[in-house]
Amino acid sequence: MKIRIEKASCVGNARCAAVAPQLFPLDDDGYIAVSEIDVPPGQEQLARRGARACPERIIVVEEDAPDGTP
Amino acid sequence: MTQARPLSPAVARPAHVTDAVTYDFDMFADEAYVKNPHDRILDLHKNAPPVFWTPRNGGHWMLLSHKANFDASRDVETFSSEVIPQAQVQAMLAQRPPGSPHFPQPWPINIDPPLHTMHRAPLQKAFSPKAIMALKDSIRELAGELIDAMKPAGTAEFVSAVAEPLPVQVFLKMFGLPVERQQEYRQVVKEHMESISVSDPRAVMMRMLKITAIMRDTLLDRKENPKDDIISMLWQTEIDGKPMGMDEMENFCVVLFAAGLDTVVNGISLGARHLADHPELQRELRADPTLISAATEEMLRRYTFTVPPRRVNKDTEFHGVTMKAGDKVMLFLPGADLDSREYANPEQYQLKRETVHIAFGAGPHRCLGSHLARVELNVVYEEMLARLPEFRLASDKEVRYHGGHVVGPDELWLSWN
Ligand code: HEM
Ligand code: SF4
Repeated sequence: MKIRIEKASCVGNARCAAVAPQLFPLDDDGYIAVSEIDVPPGQEQLARRGARACPERIIVVEEDAPDGTP
Repeated sequence: MTQARPLSPAVARPAHVTDAVTYDFDMFADEAYVKNPHDRILDLHKNAPPVFWTPRNGGHWMLLSHKANFDASRDVETFSSEVIPQAQVQAMLAQRPPGSPHFPQPWPINIDPPLHTMHRAPLQKAFSPKAIMALKDSIRELAGELIDAMKPAGTAEFVSAVAEPLPVQVFLKMFGLPVERQQEYRQVVKEHMESISVSDPRAVMMRMLKITAIMRDTLLDRKENPKDDIISMLWQTEIDGKPMGMDEMENFCVVLFAAGLDTVVNGISLGARHLADHPELQRELRADPTLISAATEEMLRRYTFTVPPRRVNKDTEFHGVTMKAGDKVMLFLPGADLDSREYANPEQYQLKRETVHIAFGAGPHRCLGSHLARVELNVVYEEMLARLPEFRLASDKEVRYHGGHVVGPDELWLSWN
């Protein structure tokens, strides 16, 4: 599973990181530091919750295809 | 104490506003609203259009739906934060005699990008999650002292006992300002917030000057003698590659005062009122304090309380209505967070909701102080629940509210055994 973030639209709510600090790294100002995240197996649920928590709705989860290919 | 305020006179409806989108609502003085603001908002959702125009307070749009608030907050080209255009402000200032003192303005809250981006950047680090976490223990200590001080009496007016002094003292600490002047600052902030509704630019100007006059000595001192406080930290930053100047420092002081005190006061009070009215929630949170941060988020959604203003920058069709350049707009965020199109059963306080709200706004002006505000709210609820037995609303006193740009209780009497 992959996460894409429209980084330029981040306004530093840090709500994603409040759900899952290890998945959503922030810069020193509290803005998201990356625009793409590879979600480690087992953390999919956490990743989805982090994405839903973003008030700006700029975090998109790309689910893996059902056959397992990314 | 605010007196019951008369309804403002209704102005004539402009030609581009239709009858169908007009609804008479005075956001400062509506009788049902100041009696119980959030109940009245639920009622607005049943009776008023999702975007409506009211003839009160000079005539302005009210964005009631979640989507309208979200969209307008993020479209800074159409919805300008420069309620008075900066070009006009600068032209007015240019007419003053040479050598007039700097006129402090609450930048970046009332300016648009790109100027906004430049003037917000230096503040960011000082209010980042990391910087604020470092303050948490001292905020907890302050909250604990205030709660312990009111506890023996068994009853207290909570706004003046805890909700007001906490953010003011946190600020004085962060700024490194002398605690003795607390009442003076608080008084000016109060006057300032009350004046925002009255469009008297001279009075606003006087108040801004008062704030900077109170702070000037400390500002100048920290430039030469840096300490471990925000003022010293801000002196080390740059704006657009240029070193920080006294004018910019004064602007920062003004915006932080205007945006960071009354908001927290009202937020803490609204949450405490809900807790006092819901002993079962108190029991649940006392049994498992790890639920308190979720409780705070749902408090912020259920009782969202700030109403930022905008000016329409260009003629536009927006959510089915026609707006003209120059129209005034209120981002009625308390309405947005009670919209049933966005939240199932919005009137229900649900701890289990995965609450995503826009109590702190959305888009580039999104609250700079949200991390600090969240810590203050969480810590107050944690310490109240830990230090006080079950508390309730005092039965002989009615809670009274004010409307306007920052909505909340004037007074909140609590009791405990
Ligand atoms: C629960 C408490 C608070 C709430 C609900 C709140 C809400 C808001 C909202 C809705 C905005 C957006 C205004 C707009 O779009 O025009 C805002 C902006 C702002 N807030 Fe807060 N606020 C709170 C506490 C604080 C605190 C503690 C500070 C102190 C640092 C603060 C500083 C600011 C600043 C500087 C801005 C302007 C940001 C900009 O224009 O880029 N706020 N706040
Ligand atoms: S929650 Fe959204 S806006 Fe906030 S820091 Fe994360 S990505 Fe940025």
